[in-house]
Amino acid sequence: MSSDFYNTSILPYAGIILKLCRAYTNSQEDFEDYYQEVCLQIWRSRENFREESQWSTWIYRITLNVCLTLLKKKKNNTQHFASDYLPLEQAEENSAFADENLNELYKAIRQLSEIDRAVIMLYLEEKTYQEIAEIIGTNPNNIGVRINRIKERLKILLDGKVN
Amino acid sequence: MEKSIESIWKEGFLKKDALVAPKINDLYNQKSKHIVDKFKRMFKINLIAIVIFSLVFMVITTINGLPIVGISWFLILIGLVVVNKKLMNGLEEIDYHANSYTYLLSFNKWLQEQLAINRKMARIYYPLFFLSIVVGFWFVDAEGIPMGERLVGEVLYGFPDLYLVNGVPLIGIVLILIIVSMLALFGGRIYDMDVYIVYGRMFNKIEELITDLEELRS
Repeated sequence: MSSDFYNTSILPYAGIILKLCRAYTNSQEDFEDYYQEVCLQIWRSRENFREESQWSTWIYRITLNVCLTLLKKKKNNTQHFASDYLPLEQAEENSAFADENLNELYKAIRQLSEIDRAVIMLYLEEKTYQEIAEIIGTNPNNIGVRINRIKERLKILLDGKVN
Repeated sequence: MEKSIESIWKEGFLKKDALVAPKINDLYNQKSKHIVDKFKRMFKINLIAIVIFSLVFMVITTINGLPIVGISWFLILIGLVVVNKKLMNGLEEIDYHANSYTYLLSFNKWLQEQLAINRKMARIYYPLFFLSIVVGFWFVDAEGIPMGERLVGEVLYGFPDLYLVNGVPLIGIVLILIIVSMLALFGGRIYDMDVYIVYGRMFNKIEELITDLEELRS
Protein backbone atom coordinates (compact mmCIF):
# COMPACT_ATOMS: atom_id res chain seq x y z
CA MET A 1 0.00 0.00 0.00
CA SER A 2 1.52 3.31 -0.98
CA SER A 3 2.10 5.73 1.87
CA ASP A 4 0.36 8.44 -0.21
CA PHE A 5 -2.86 6.48 -0.31
CA TYR A 6 -2.58 5.65 3.38
CA ASN A 7 -1.91 9.24 4.38
CA THR A 8 -4.58 10.85 2.25
CA SER A 9 -7.36 8.30 2.09
CA ILE A 10 -7.09 6.21 5.22
CA LEU A 11 -5.35 8.14 7.97
CA PRO A 12 -7.93 10.99 8.06
CA TYR A 13 -10.57 8.31 8.66
CA ALA A 14 -8.46 6.14 10.96
CA GLY A 15 -10.69 7.11 13.90
CA ILE A 16 -13.62 5.26 12.32
CA ILE A 17 -11.54 2.14 11.83
CA LEU A 18 -9.97 2.27 15.27
CA LYS A 19 -13.27 2.72 17.07
CA LEU A 20 -14.93 -0.16 15.21
CA CYS A 21 -11.96 -2.51 15.47
CA ARG A 22 -11.79 -1.94 19.22
CA ALA A 23 -15.38 -3.11 19.54
CA TYR A 24 -14.63 -6.42 17.88
CA THR A 25 -11.37 -7.30 19.58
CA ASN A 26 -10.31 -8.08 23.10
CA SER A 27 -6.58 -7.78 22.82
CA GLN A 28 -4.12 -5.23 21.47
CA GLU A 29 -2.63 -7.88 19.19
CA ASP A 30 -5.99 -8.68 17.59
CA PHE A 31 -6.84 -5.01 17.37
CA GLU A 32 -3.67 -4.29 15.40
CA ASP A 33 -4.29 -7.28 13.11
CA TYR A 34 -7.84 -6.12 12.43
CA TYR A 35 -6.70 -2.57 11.78
CA GLN A 36 -4.07 -3.69 9.29
CA GLU A 37 -6.44 -6.02 7.53
CA VAL A 38 -9.04 -3.24 7.22
CA CYS A 39 -6.45 -0.86 5.76
CA LEU A 40 -5.38 -3.49 3.30
CA GLN A 41 -8.95 -4.22 2.24
CA ILE A 42 -9.67 -0.52 1.77
CA TRP A 43 -6.62 -0.25 -0.44
CA ARG A 44 -7.59 -3.36 -2.38
CA SER A 45 -11.18 -2.22 -2.85
CA ARG A 46 -10.32 1.36 -3.74
CA GLU A 47 -11.08 0.84 -7.43
CA ASN A 48 -14.59 -0.41 -6.60
CA PHE A 49 -15.52 2.86 -4.94
CA ARG A 50 -18.14 4.42 -7.22
CA GLU A 51 -18.76 7.66 -5.33
CA GLU A 52 -22.41 6.67 -4.86
CA SER A 53 -21.79 7.10 -1.16
CA GLN A 54 -19.32 9.09 0.91
CA TRP A 55 -15.80 7.78 1.27
CA SER A 56 -16.35 7.58 5.05
CA THR A 57 -19.46 5.41 4.55
CA TRP A 58 -17.41 3.19 2.28
CA ILE A 59 -14.77 2.89 5.00
CA TYR A 60 -17.40 2.05 7.63
CA ARG A 61 -18.73 -0.69 5.38
CA ILE A 62 -15.36 -2.24 4.66
CA THR A 63 -14.33 -2.02 8.31
CA LEU A 64 -17.48 -3.76 9.46
CA ASN A 65 -17.23 -6.43 6.81
CA VAL A 66 -13.61 -7.15 7.65
CA CYS A 67 -14.30 -7.22 11.40
CA LEU A 68 -17.26 -9.57 10.98
CA THR A 69 -15.30 -11.82 8.62
CA LEU A 70 -12.29 -12.01 10.91
CA LEU A 71 -14.51 -12.64 13.90
CA LYS A 72 -16.24 -15.45 12.01
CA LYS A 73 -12.91 -16.96 11.03
CA LYS A 74 -11.75 -16.84 14.60
CA LYS A 75 -14.95 -18.45 15.80
CA ASN A 76 -14.23 -21.33 13.46
CA ASN A 77 -10.72 -21.55 14.80
CA THR A 78 -11.01 -20.84 18.49
CA GLN A 79 -8.00 -23.00 19.31
CA HIS A 80 -5.67 -20.69 17.45
CA PHE A 81 -7.42 -17.44 18.17
CA ALA A 82 -8.57 -17.88 21.69
CA SER A 83 -7.78 -14.25 22.46
CA ASP A 84 -11.02 -13.17 20.84
CA TYR A 85 -13.00 -15.15 23.35
CA LEU A 86 -11.40 -14.11 26.53
CA PRO A 87 -13.53 -14.79 29.55
CA LEU A 88 -15.18 -11.62 30.74
CA GLU A 89 -12.87 -11.23 33.74
CA GLN A 90 -9.84 -11.40 31.42
CA ALA A 91 -11.42 -9.17 28.79
CA GLU A 92 -11.95 -6.56 31.45
CA GLU A 93 -8.21 -6.29 31.90
CA ASN A 94 -7.99 -4.84 28.41
CA SER A 95 -8.11 -1.10 28.99
CA ALA A 96 -7.21 0.54 25.73
CA PHE A 97 -8.21 4.10 26.57
CA ALA A 98 -7.07 6.61 29.13
CA ASP A 99 -10.71 7.38 29.94
CA GLU A 100 -12.04 4.74 32.35
CA ASN A 101 -15.66 5.41 31.43
CA LEU A 102 -14.88 4.80 27.79
CA ASN A 103 -13.17 1.52 28.68
CA GLU A 104 -16.28 0.47 30.59
CA LEU A 105 -18.48 1.44 27.66
CA TYR A 106 -16.37 -0.63 25.28
CA LYS A 107 -16.49 -3.62 27.63
CA ALA A 108 -20.26 -3.35 27.63
CA ILE A 109 -20.40 -2.95 23.84
CA ARG A 110 -18.28 -6.08 23.40
CA GLN A 111 -20.93 -8.04 25.23
CA LEU A 112 -23.52 -7.19 22.59
CA SER A 113 -24.19 -9.27 19.50
CA GLU A 114 -21.99 -8.53 16.48
CA ILE A 115 -24.69 -6.60 14.64
CA ASP A 116 -25.81 -4.70 17.73
CA ARG A 117 -22.21 -3.61 18.21
CA ALA A 118 -22.18 -2.21 14.68
CA VAL A 119 -25.53 -0.45 15.13
CA ILE A 120 -24.60 1.25 18.38
CA MET A 121 -21.16 2.28 17.15
CA LEU A 122 -22.67 3.91 14.09
CA TYR A 123 -25.29 5.58 16.26
CA LEU A 124 -22.59 6.93 18.58
CA GLU A 125 -20.77 8.21 15.51
CA GLU A 126 -23.92 10.24 14.82
CA LYS A 127 -24.88 8.45 11.66
CA THR A 128 -28.50 8.85 10.62
CA TYR A 129 -30.84 5.84 10.71
CA GLN A 130 -30.78 5.89 6.93
CA GLU A 131 -26.97 5.78 6.88
CA ILE A 132 -26.84 3.04 9.52
CA ALA A 133 -29.32 0.97 7.51
CA GLU A 134 -27.32 1.61 4.35
CA ILE A 135 -24.03 0.59 5.92
CA ILE A 136 -25.41 -2.53 7.56
CA GLY A 137 -27.81 -3.36 4.76
CA THR A 138 -31.06 -3.37 6.73
CA ASN A 139 -34.37 -1.52 6.81
CA PRO A 140 -34.11 1.98 8.38
CA ASN A 141 -37.55 1.58 10.01
CA ASN A 142 -36.28 -0.91 12.56
CA ILE A 143 -33.09 0.92 13.44
CA GLY A 144 -34.63 3.33 15.97
CA VAL A 145 -36.30 0.57 17.96
CA ARG A 146 -33.13 -1.49 17.86
CA ILE A 147 -31.02 1.42 19.11
CA ASN A 148 -33.35 2.01 22.04
CA ARG A 149 -33.19 -1.66 22.96
CA ILE A 150 -29.37 -1.64 22.76
CA LYS A 151 -29.14 1.52 24.85
CA GLU A 152 -31.32 -0.08 27.52
CA ARG A 153 -29.06 -3.12 27.54
CA LEU A 154 -25.95 -0.94 27.79
CA LYS A 155 -27.48 1.00 30.68
CA ILE A 156 -27.95 -2.25 32.57
CA LEU A 157 -24.43 -3.43 31.76
CA LEU A 158 -22.92 -0.10 32.81
CA ASP A 159 -25.00 0.35 35.92
CA GLY A 160 -22.72 1.41 38.77
CA LYS A 161 -19.58 1.14 36.66
CA VAL A 162 -19.33 4.69 35.33
CA ASN A 163 -19.31 8.01 37.05
CA MET B 1 -25.68 5.45 35.79
CA GLU B 2 -25.00 9.15 35.75
CA LYS B 3 -23.69 9.81 32.27
CA SER B 4 -25.36 8.92 29.03
CA ILE B 5 -23.51 6.60 26.67
CA GLU B 6 -23.41 9.44 24.15
CA SER B 7 -21.51 11.69 26.54
CA ILE B 8 -19.14 8.91 27.63
CA TRP B 9 -18.38 8.36 23.97
CA LYS B 10 -17.80 12.01 23.15
CA GLU B 11 -15.78 12.85 26.24
CA GLY B 12 -13.72 9.68 26.02
CA PHE B 13 -12.55 10.44 22.54
CA LEU B 14 -11.78 14.06 23.36
CA LYS B 15 -8.85 12.91 25.48
CA LYS B 16 -5.39 13.04 24.00
CA ASP B 17 -4.08 9.78 22.53
CA ALA B 18 -7.53 8.19 22.53
CA LEU B 19 -7.11 7.36 18.89
CA VAL B 20 -3.62 6.31 17.92
CA ALA B 21 -3.39 4.33 14.72
CA PRO B 22 -1.13 1.30 14.93
CA LYS B 23 1.76 1.18 12.51
CA ILE B 24 1.08 -0.76 9.35
CA ASN B 25 3.85 -3.29 9.41
CA ASP B 26 4.97 -6.50 7.95
CA LEU B 27 1.48 -7.61 6.95
CA TYR B 28 2.52 -8.92 3.58
CA ASN B 29 5.45 -10.76 5.10
CA GLN B 30 3.16 -12.48 7.55
CA LYS B 31 0.63 -13.29 4.86
CA SER B 32 3.21 -14.66 2.43
CA LYS B 33 4.80 -16.92 4.98
CA HIS B 34 1.45 -18.03 6.30
CA ILE B 35 0.19 -19.06 2.87
CA VAL B 36 3.40 -20.90 1.94
CA ASP B 37 3.41 -22.71 5.29
CA LYS B 38 -0.20 -23.68 4.71
CA PHE B 39 0.68 -25.03 1.28
CA LYS B 40 3.58 -27.05 2.70
CA ARG B 41 1.28 -28.57 5.30
CA MET B 42 -1.36 -29.45 2.70
CA PHE B 43 1.27 -30.89 0.37
CA LYS B 44 2.68 -33.10 3.15
CA ILE B 45 -0.78 -34.28 4.20
CA ASN B 46 -1.57 -35.03 0.57
CA LEU B 47 1.53 -37.21 0.19
CA ILE B 48 0.73 -39.11 3.39
CA ALA B 49 -2.86 -39.58 2.19
CA ILE B 50 -1.60 -41.01 -1.11
CA VAL B 51 0.60 -43.55 0.73
CA ILE B 52 -2.29 -44.61 2.98
CA PHE B 53 -4.71 -44.80 0.07
CA SER B 54 -2.33 -46.87 -2.08
CA LEU B 55 -1.77 -49.36 0.76
CA VAL B 56 -5.47 -49.70 1.57
CA PHE B 57 -6.33 -49.94 -2.12
CA MET B 58 -3.72 -52.67 -2.62
CA VAL B 59 -5.11 -54.72 0.26
CA ILE B 60 -8.73 -54.32 -0.86
CA THR B 61 -8.05 -55.14 -4.51
CA THR B 62 -5.89 -58.14 -3.56
CA ILE B 63 -8.62 -59.49 -1.28
CA ASN B 64 -11.10 -59.04 -4.15
CA GLY B 65 -8.96 -60.92 -6.65
CA LEU B 66 -7.42 -57.92 -8.41
CA PRO B 67 -3.84 -57.96 -7.10
CA ILE B 68 -2.39 -56.69 -10.38
CA VAL B 69 -4.46 -53.48 -10.14
CA GLY B 70 -3.63 -52.95 -6.47
CA ILE B 71 0.10 -53.64 -6.79
CA SER B 72 0.44 -51.55 -9.97
CA TRP B 73 -1.40 -48.60 -8.44
CA PHE B 74 0.67 -48.93 -5.28
CA LEU B 75 3.94 -48.88 -7.23
CA ILE B 76 2.88 -45.96 -9.43
CA LEU B 77 1.61 -43.93 -6.48
CA ILE B 78 4.66 -44.64 -4.33
CA GLY B 79 6.82 -43.55 -7.28
CA LEU B 80 4.82 -40.33 -7.37
CA VAL B 81 5.26 -39.79 -3.65
CA VAL B 82 9.02 -40.36 -3.85
CA VAL B 83 9.41 -37.88 -6.72
CA ASN B 84 7.24 -35.28 -4.97
CA LYS B 85 9.02 -35.77 -1.67
CA LYS B 86 12.29 -35.00 -3.46
CA LEU B 87 10.69 -31.97 -5.10
CA MET B 88 9.49 -30.83 -1.71
CA ASN B 89 13.06 -30.79 -0.42
CA GLY B 90 13.64 -27.96 -2.90
CA LEU B 91 11.27 -25.85 -0.80
CA GLU B 92 13.74 -25.85 2.07
CA GLU B 93 16.24 -24.04 -0.13
CA ILE B 94 13.96 -21.02 -0.43
CA ASP B 95 15.25 -18.24 1.79
CA TYR B 96 12.64 -17.80 4.49
CA HIS B 97 14.20 -14.52 5.53
CA ALA B 98 13.98 -12.88 2.11
CA ASN B 99 11.47 -10.08 1.61
CA SER B 100 7.89 -11.14 0.81
CA TYR B 101 8.15 -10.44 -2.89
CA THR B 102 11.39 -12.43 -3.39
CA TYR B 103 10.07 -15.17 -1.13
CA LEU B 104 6.78 -15.49 -3.01
CA LEU B 105 8.51 -15.36 -6.39
CA SER B 106 10.92 -18.12 -5.37
CA PHE B 107 8.05 -20.17 -4.04
CA ASN B 108 6.04 -19.62 -7.20
CA LYS B 109 9.02 -20.63 -9.34
CA TRP B 110 9.38 -23.83 -7.32
CA LEU B 111 5.64 -24.44 -7.60
CA GLN B 112 5.60 -24.00 -11.39
CA GLU B 113 8.57 -26.36 -11.81
CA GLN B 114 6.93 -28.89 -9.54
CA LEU B 115 3.65 -28.65 -11.47
CA ALA B 116 5.45 -29.02 -14.81
CA ILE B 117 7.22 -32.22 -13.66
CA ASN B 118 3.97 -33.65 -12.29
CA ARG B 119 2.15 -32.69 -15.47
CA LYS B 120 4.69 -34.69 -17.51
CA MET B 121 4.43 -37.63 -15.13
CA ALA B 122 0.64 -37.53 -15.36
CA ARG B 123 0.90 -38.23 -19.07
CA ILE B 124 2.57 -41.50 -18.16
CA TYR B 125 0.79 -42.58 -15.02
CA TYR B 126 -2.80 -41.98 -16.15
CA PRO B 127 -2.34 -44.44 -19.07
CA LEU B 128 -0.56 -46.82 -16.68
CA PHE B 129 -3.49 -46.67 -14.24
CA PHE B 130 -5.84 -47.53 -17.08
CA LEU B 131 -3.64 -50.34 -18.45
CA SER B 132 -3.28 -51.86 -14.99
CA ILE B 133 -7.08 -51.93 -14.67
CA VAL B 134 -7.41 -53.62 -18.08
CA VAL B 135 -4.69 -56.19 -17.35
CA GLY B 136 -5.94 -56.66 -13.78
CA PHE B 137 -9.47 -57.45 -14.91
CA TRP B 138 -8.21 -59.62 -17.78
CA PHE B 139 -6.58 -62.00 -15.29
CA VAL B 140 -9.39 -62.04 -12.71
CA ASP B 141 -10.44 -65.59 -12.11
CA ALA B 142 -13.82 -66.27 -13.70
CA GLU B 143 -14.80 -69.81 -12.82
CA GLY B 144 -11.38 -71.31 -13.45
CA ILE B 145 -10.27 -69.25 -16.44
CA PRO B 146 -9.11 -65.61 -16.73
CA MET B 147 -12.01 -63.20 -17.22
CA GLY B 148 -10.39 -61.79 -20.38
CA GLU B 149 -10.31 -65.14 -22.10
CA ARG B 150 -13.83 -65.89 -21.00
CA LEU B 151 -15.07 -62.55 -22.38
CA VAL B 152 -13.27 -63.11 -25.70
CA GLY B 153 -14.92 -66.53 -25.92
CA GLU B 154 -18.34 -65.05 -25.35
CA VAL B 155 -17.75 -62.23 -27.87
CA LEU B 156 -16.50 -64.72 -30.46
CA TYR B 157 -19.66 -66.72 -29.95
CA GLY B 158 -21.67 -63.70 -31.16
CA PHE B 159 -19.12 -62.40 -33.69
CA PRO B 160 -17.14 -65.38 -34.98
CA ASP B 161 -15.41 -63.36 -37.74
CA LEU B 162 -13.53 -61.07 -35.31
CA TYR B 163 -9.84 -60.71 -36.13
CA LEU B 164 -7.65 -61.81 -33.21
CA VAL B 165 -4.07 -60.84 -32.35
CA ASN B 166 -2.56 -63.35 -29.91
CA GLY B 167 -6.04 -64.30 -28.79
CA VAL B 168 -7.25 -60.72 -28.26
CA PRO B 169 -9.77 -59.10 -30.64
CA LEU B 170 -8.05 -56.41 -32.74
CA ILE B 171 -10.95 -54.04 -32.14
CA GLY B 172 -10.34 -54.33 -28.38
CA ILE B 173 -6.64 -53.61 -28.78
CA VAL B 174 -7.41 -50.58 -30.95
CA LEU B 175 -9.94 -49.28 -28.39
CA ILE B 176 -7.44 -49.66 -25.54
CA LEU B 177 -4.74 -47.95 -27.59
CA ILE B 178 -7.08 -45.05 -28.35
CA ILE B 179 -7.92 -44.62 -24.66
CA VAL B 180 -4.25 -44.91 -23.66
CA SER B 181 -3.27 -42.34 -26.30
CA MET B 182 -6.01 -39.97 -25.13
CA LEU B 183 -4.88 -40.31 -21.53
CA ALA B 184 -1.27 -39.70 -22.57
CA LEU B 185 -2.37 -36.70 -24.61
CA PHE B 186 -4.69 -35.15 -22.03
CA GLY B 187 -2.99 -36.47 -18.87
CA GLY B 188 -1.48 -33.05 -18.22
CA ARG B 189 -4.85 -31.36 -18.42
CA ILE B 190 -6.49 -33.97 -16.21
CA TYR B 191 -3.69 -33.39 -13.71
CA ASP B 192 -4.29 -29.61 -13.84
CA MET B 193 -7.98 -30.08 -13.11
CA ASP B 194 -7.19 -32.52 -10.34
CA VAL B 195 -4.64 -30.27 -8.69
CA TYR B 196 -6.80 -27.16 -9.00
CA ILE B 197 -9.61 -28.85 -7.12
CA VAL B 198 -7.30 -29.29 -4.12
CA TYR B 199 -4.99 -26.29 -4.37
CA GLY B 200 -6.85 -23.91 -6.70
CA ARG B 201 -7.82 -21.36 -4.06
CA MET B 202 -4.33 -21.32 -2.67
CA PHE B 203 -2.77 -20.82 -6.10
CA ASN B 204 -5.11 -17.89 -6.72
CA LYS B 205 -4.21 -16.41 -3.36
CA ILE B 206 -0.49 -16.63 -4.13
CA GLU B 207 -1.00 -14.99 -7.53
CA GLU B 208 -3.13 -12.30 -5.91
CA LEU B 209 -0.41 -11.58 -3.34
CA ILE B 210 2.28 -11.37 -6.01
CA THR B 211 0.12 -9.01 -8.09
CA ASP B 212 -0.49 -6.82 -5.04
CA LEU B 213 3.19 -6.71 -4.27
CA GLU B 214 4.09 -5.91 -7.86
CA GLU B 215 1.61 -3.07 -7.77
CA LEU B 216 3.19 -1.82 -4.57
CA ARG B 217 6.62 -1.91 -6.12
CA SER B 218 5.59 -0.05 -9.27
